[in-house]
Amino acid sequence: MIASDVTIRGVSKRFGTNIVLQNIDLDIKQGELLTLLGPSGCGKTTTLNAIAGFLDPDEGELFIKGKKMNGVPPYKRDLGMVFQTYSLFPHMTVYENLVFGLKVRKLKKEETDSKIKRALELVKLTGLEKRYPRELSGGQRQRVAIARALVVEPELLLLDEPLSNLDAKLRHELRAEIKRLQKEVGVTTIFVTHDQEEALSMSDRVVVMNQGKIEQIGTPTEIYQNPQTEFVFQFIGKSNRFEGLVKSVEDSYANIQIDEGWVIRTQKENIIGKDRIYHTQDAVNLYIRPELISIKSVGENLGVPEKEIVQKRAVIKQMNYLGSQWEIEVSINGVHHLQVIGSSIEDSWSIGTEVSVEWKMSDIRLTKK
Amino acid sequence: MENVGYTSDQKMSTNAKESLKLTPNSKGKKFKKYTAAILLLAPLLLFILAFFVVPMIYVFYLSFIEVEGLDISNASYSIGNYLTFFSDPYFLRSLWMTVKVSVYAVIIALILGYPIALTMAKSSARMRGYLTLLVASPLLISVVVRNFGWYLLLVPNGVIDQFLMKLGIIDSPLKLLFSVEGVVIGLANSFLPFMVLSIATSLYNIDPSLEKASSILGTSPFKTFLTVTLPLSLPGVVAGIVLVFSMSMSSYVTPALMGGANVPLFQLSFMSKLIRYSAGHLVRPSPIFYLA
Repeated sequence: MIASDVTIRGVSKRFGTNIVLQNIDLDIKQGELLTLLGPSGCGKTTTLNAIAGFLDPDEGELFIKGKKMNGVPPYKRDLGMVFQTYSLFPHMTVYENLVFGLKVRKLKKEETDSKIKRALELVKLTGLEKRYPRELSGGQRQRVAIARALVVEPELLLLDEPLSNLDAKLRHELRAEIKRLQKEVGVTTIFVTHDQEEALSMSDRVVVMNQGKIEQIGTPTEIYQNPQTEFVFQFIGKSNRFEGLVKSVEDSYANIQIDEGWVIRTQKENIIGKDRIYHTQDAVNLYIRPELISIKSVGENLGVPEKEIVQKRAVIKQMNYLGSQWEIEVSINGVHHLQVIGSSIEDSWSIGTEVSVEWKMSDIRLTKK
Repeated sequence: MENVGYTSDQKMSTNAKESLKLTPNSKGKKFKKYTAAILLLAPLLLFILAFFVVPMIYVFYLSFIEVEGLDISNASYSIGNYLTFFSDPYFLRSLWMTVKVSVYAVIIALILGYPIALTMAKSSARMRGYLTLLVASPLLISVVVRNFGWYLLLVPNGVIDQFLMKLGIIDSPLKLLFSVEGVVIGLANSFLPFMVLSIATSLYNIDPSLEKASSILGTSPFKTFLTVTLPLSLPGVVAGIVLVFSMSMSSYVTPALMGGANVPLFQLSFMSKLIRYSAGHLVRPSPIFYLA
């Protein structure tokens, strides 16, 4: 229990008949940046509020640094928190906002001032002490909010969607900055977001939540590359889906019938979920991520495809230029529409051009229908 | 500001430059905007001008005229009327009492109103609707009827007196009616809704996460109220005070019914003077009009 900064054991929470948290178990390690990721209503904010003390769980136990926190009000928990709406006190200057949390801690004037100075240096806002929040830009306000949370040297830093009110460019900038700050200060941080890109790029570990339950806990690469449940797979990243029937099962392979005359062979380990045993005639969904498909001009590679590659003829239906990449929609046999993301196209391609699409057998993911 | 070596600052300064560049353009736009506003306000402004501003200026002008008898041609201008007024202890006393009674009414409305407003701000949207209706409900009843209600409660040996005497808290009837206390109770009751609603409105506008932020920084709920909620609700408090004070200063029915001759408030003395003079005389233009 001492090894982790936050320990959550069997926590449940209901609002009326609505179960918002269902038997949550979670350990947050010292110094890590952990993200709670999920769609709205998945329970991520409720979890954060339970850690902060804004609500008490109906069942289960919550420990921060080994101390049991059930029933302890937020102002006795010694935490720092940054909110979506910045939540700076509008009637106070930057300095007064920062001093607010230090007043309770009864420090000497010099100590207070040096702490505030350091906190403002950390978020690169030195010299703005006398400004009021309304005189600052959105990005600056959120930096002040981060400084205000950090200046009290909290046990935990809680971030409740702190970037969602900022524009895309600022969001990117602050994302990197929060990551840097967190490592510099070394404070254990819990970050709540619905933005998977944010979660994947910032976190040491990601907790994917859905309908009040934890779907998967893992590093960003584990979450993206080895989703353990169908929900995680569909929530993180985009994917193309085919419906099919299991035609035959071999030792480590399954053959899936997609169409009359189109059977895709894939490893059984690509099955998502605990139930990895499939039987003939099982209906399955077969997924492939758009960035894992490559498009080639027909004729460029007409040799026999390698054993582990799926190759198919397709027709280009649409081509969207996204700046750094192309989004291409192709159709196989006129029935299966696939989205492909690639970094470049060939000059000869246009809508209607026949091309060859291919992907690795091991990149396929399967779920039972 | 010394450190400009970072992007948000730079972005801000370019924004500032852009807005400077736009000034001539936006001036024209602003003018257009104001024209529309003025046109929309014109009917109301004309109405106020004709029926309020002009008469007020005229009365103000009249207050400087001294007339002998009924002959206006003898009129002379002086501040004599004002001197007469301010040297009459009766009027001064009633003016002072009016201010005092209004201040008491404001204090009571504030003390009773703030907790109600706070409750409204903390409740759900649906509950807020019910509470608003409840708070505003006294306004649905005519002042006269409401004051007769108080009359029954406050009258010597009335409901309150009997209740308190039965409990043994008091021995003889309280003199609540026809006293300053009675007027203050009546006024505070009449204008409480204005206090509550203006405070509540400013409480609604406080971002609820501010209290959370204060709490997580280690501040107890009571201190959070003092340092965050209360200062941020001050605009509503000030609005409520101004409303209740000015309405108390100018109310007539409540002081007349609850105070009667024992509490000669300014409004009452003014009215009696008006009635006395208008019987046969030309109303003597007096500063009292202007002040009232």
